[in-house]
Amino acid sequence: MSLRVLNPNAEVLNKSAALHMNINAAKGLQDVLKSNLGPKGTIKMLVGGAGDIKLTKDGNTLLKEMQIQNPTAIMIARTAVAQDDISGDGTTSTVIFIGELMKQAERCIDEGMHPRVVVDGFEIAKKATLEFLEKFKTPVVMGDGPDREMLKMVARTTLRTKLYESLADQLTDIVVNAVLCIRKPEEPIDLFMVEIMHMRHKFDVDTRLVEGLVLDHGSRHPDMKRRAENCHILTCNVSLEYEKSEINAGFFYSNAEQREAMVVAERRSVDERVKKIIDLKNKVCGPDDNFVVINQKGIDPPSLDLLARAGIVALRRAKRRNMERLVLACGGEAVNSVDDLAPDVLGWAGLVYEHVLGEEKYTFVENVKHPNSCTILIKGPNDHTIAQIKDAVRDGLRSVKNTIEDEAVVRGAGAFEVAARQHLINEVKKTVKGRAQLGVQAFADALLIVPKTLAENSGLDTQDVIISLTGEHDNGNVVGLNQHTGDPIDPQMEGIFDNYAVKRQIINSAPVIASQLLLVDEVIRAGRNMRKPT
Amino acid sequence: MKELVTFQVGSYANFIGSHFWNFQDELLGLFEDPQADMVFKNQNLDMDVLYRTGETQQGIPTYTPRLISVDFQGSLGSMSSHGTLYNQSSSLSSSITTWNGNVSTQASEPYKKNLFLQRLYDEGKEKVANANGDSQSEIQDTDVVNSLEESVEFWTDYSKVHYHPQSLFELNGSWVNPQEFNNYGIGKNTLSEGLQGDEINERFRFFIEECDHVQGIQFIIDDSGGFSGVGASILENIADDYTNVPVVLYSVRSPSSFINPKTRKQNIYSNLHDAVSFSALSSLCNLIIPVGLPSLNESRFSQFLNLQDNKLYHSSGVYASVIHSVSLPFRMKRIGPNGESLYECGAMDLYEGIQMLAGQGRQNYVAVLDACIPAPSLVGRVFKQSLLENLLPLTPETAYDVEDLQAIESVIVQGVLGSEEHEATLSEVKEAMETAYEKATTRPRFSHLSVSRCPLPILLPFPSIFGTRVGRRGEILSNPVSESESMSRRGSIDVHSIPMAARLRSSTAILPFLENRLGNIRKFGLERGSIGAEVLRNWGFGREEVEEIGENLSKLVVTLDPHQGYSSDSD
Repeated sequence: MSLRVLNPNAEVLNKSAALHMNINAAKGLQDVLKSNLGPKGTIKMLVGGAGDIKLTKDGNTLLKEMQIQNPTAIMIARTAVAQDDISGDGTTSTVIFIGELMKQAERCIDEGMHPRVVVDGFEIAKKATLEFLEKFKTPVVMGDGPDREMLKMVARTTLRTKLYESLADQLTDIVVNAVLCIRKPEEPIDLFMVEIMHMRHKFDVDTRLVEGLVLDHGSRHPDMKRRAENCHILTCNVSLEYEKSEINAGFFYSNAEQREAMVVAERRSVDERVKKIIDLKNKVCGPDDNFVVINQKGIDPPSLDLLARAGIVALRRAKRRNMERLVLACGGEAVNSVDDLAPDVLGWAGLVYEHVLGEEKYTFVENVKHPNSCTILIKGPNDHTIAQIKDAVRDGLRSVKNTIEDEAVVRGAGAFEVAARQHLINEVKKTVKGRAQLGVQAFADALLIVPKTLAENSGLDTQDVIISLTGEHDNGNVVGLNQHTGDPIDPQMEGIFDNYAVKRQIINSAPVIASQLLLVDEVIRAGRNMRKPT
Repeated sequence: MKELVTFQVGSYANFIGSHFWNFQDELLGLFEDPQADMVFKNQNLDMDVLYRTGETQQGIPTYTPRLISVDFQGSLGSMSSHGTLYNQSSSLSSSITTWNGNVSTQASEPYKKNLFLQRLYDEGKEKVANANGDSQSEIQDTDVVNSLEESVEFWTDYSKVHYHPQSLFELNGSWVNPQEFNNYGIGKNTLSEGLQGDEINERFRFFIEECDHVQGIQFIIDDSGGFSGVGASILENIADDYTNVPVVLYSVRSPSSFINPKTRKQNIYSNLHDAVSFSALSSLCNLIIPVGLPSLNESRFSQFLNLQDNKLYHSSGVYASVIHSVSLPFRMKRIGPNGESLYECGAMDLYEGIQMLAGQGRQNYVAVLDACIPAPSLVGRVFKQSLLENLLPLTPETAYDVEDLQAIESVIVQGVLGSEEHEATLSEVKEAMETAYEKATTRPRFSHLSVSRCPLPILLPFPSIFGTRVGRRGEILSNPVSESESMSRRGSIDVHSIPMAARLRSSTAILPFLENRLGNIRKFGLERGSIGAEVLRNWGFGREEVEEIGENLSKLVVTLDPHQGYSSDSD
């Protein structure tokens, strides 16, 4: 072969070997993730060599934890992770759908079909499925007052696949309220305005929504109040510490007095900034009011001292994002210079208090008037529990956001996949000429992997389930799978809804990557042995 | 001016860091040990500069390095990324409370602890259960030394320090082979995807929020691979959020990173990477110190050392001890305005140090690191050479014997021996240095001297890297101790402390280093039709950005050598 001449070390896999390598990789990845799917899936506990524990039921997290080496598997994993980045969920579904497409294609190819023909069929089927999805989706009218019940159902569907039922239901309310809290009419939803904070403390059921903000630090002065009511909040980004002038200024003092003088002058300018803040406090605060400064820059001990003596609570080095969140939660605006200080830049909170856990301090800013930012405070007995709840909360938030933005949902529990399959077989396939029909058939059958896996994970007989589901669909009933009994159910009645964006993304991306892998002619790799098990 | 925050980014940086913190741990131990030598007892170092005080949830006080270490997932060996102090009760941690359904567990085989770690662990247990009295099966020092020499694989294998849970960050490379994680571009990408960059920032914020008056950041980075991109991203964020915090950056290279690439293409790759990485990192810090010789053992530097270049455990010990010396002035306590300590002199904070080397005159912020291990004693010199002449560069690609009238240097001398094998007094050292400068053929324009009487303690996990002519207190013997093959390396059993000297130098000696990088970016990246343009594009650099890199590097060269025809419009 010509390549051998060019590089004797290069390794070449011919067409069928290359194809089978790809198919096997896809199937392998499918096998790993399959058991994750759905509310009856298996949670995975990963224990590292040093005893570190990771818990996950999320395909996305699992893919990232697995040190995948196989190049094909990496391609699939990248697609699946991109899926998560774009739509917030559906990683596992993408992987098992790609795997199934490859499996079905393999059957066709083994019977002598050219991969090109299969791919053509995939293309037709994909287009038809996307059109079908448009018809199948359930529109949700958002308007000014979104349908809270609908949002809850979507969030619950997502969360119940990650957490046990009662915790999922508790979090459902939390994530829906959180998104509605930050939602502003006519503006895209910025989920960063929901702070997710965690405490290793108590139990997972103590997780709650704080309307306001929780900061992960406290004041650094013993005399400052640990609890204050009726607080004016100053959000600022002003250095309140002694700093030397610009690092490259290049000055040098020639004697100790000069140095002292410089230090004194610099100190004086810091003190003046502090005094301006104290002046503002005296101007706005009545006898029952308190004043809280939350600064993005540093505050050094002398400044803290001055502030404490004036009865001000001060926090330093706040997160950059919290500057934005604070203003949204408490009102007012963030100031970058003491010259901008005025009563109307101040926000307001009914209660500010500190909570200490060992060396960790938390400051709660609560009882605010019109919060447009909030905090989900996750509690749990240990780090891996917290991490897992955090992942689930992120997915839940995304699902609510998607629903509001899509203004539509898709009936879940496998109902869409079965309906789309029946549509492809009964309607679309007839319109296709020639052998591409088989590609459409393969695609249609591959869709069934979702209800099949759901059934398998629930310990049900997949054959029975598929027969009863397709039967119902042929009678015109849109049904999904009841995971407990294996009977058909109406997802609408049960409140099982998936995100439209997630489904569309899966249908869009999975066939693309599967087609690419099927059309590989040769795999050439110089320098490394591919056939070695990795 | 007080606290320093330390970053260790990349594998070799962590190897060095591990030694560095072991030294600090030993100094802390010796300070409290009633039987320790007076020089250790009287040291006037402020350990709070590097360490933080904390408290676990159970109320147990802790004292841990103010450190953020970034390395690959799985590079921590047998150490848990949560550290050892803040452990949660194990009964709770194994049960799964968030899921009622099936559980599948995938457990990796636990890493075996080597003898050193085993002994540490046993000692820890003994302290708790002291009642038992008789300790069974003591592990011998020599066995531990052998085990370390043979088996060190991770930097945690020889670490005896307790780390804070926020300190150890494992970078998830998302399916990148470690071998392929070898360029600036890929590192930059890894951090920009997902939330890992945010997470590192958060951890940094955790440490800096509790600082009353942060002195600066010391940043040790292994810039031979993708970690230079990771480091650059971290530094960019620091520059955004903490504008006035000075940063001193050691870009370290292990001897093994200099192995010549096989193909011409790989060669161009690594040359481009070096240029890009240096340009990016140098523009993000206030002082950059390239460290790491291609062959440490064969260099003149290792006259009294005997180490194996292929063992990261060995060479990192050398660099760590030098970085330790350099950091001494930043930690010396200042006693009143005119107070004089008998044990230290020459304290300065990081800002002053940087200002001195990089702020005056030429404003050249690339420094050469020289050192000498062990430093010769002031009297009865074996070689009739002064301390100054013994200082040899650890920075690669430097010119020897340059005459630079504008050079500025900062010398740190630690625990050198004077008459009768005692640590020399401060005035003796000062005097010796003054005469050395007077005799020297080329003198710097300005020099600063810091002296500590406390030598470098050599403790058990330190590698056996000393030659046979190094004595118990680091004195240089006129006759080798023994010539037998097995004893050609002396380590912590035979050597207890080492006098040292280190020097940071702003000098034209760095010119070859800079010119090589400038030449490479011009040749491979900027010339028309050059091969590297495509590579650089893949790393995320457009034509203009490459030109910017070239300009940045040529500015550094011109700073030092204004007569060079390297101005950017030469072609």
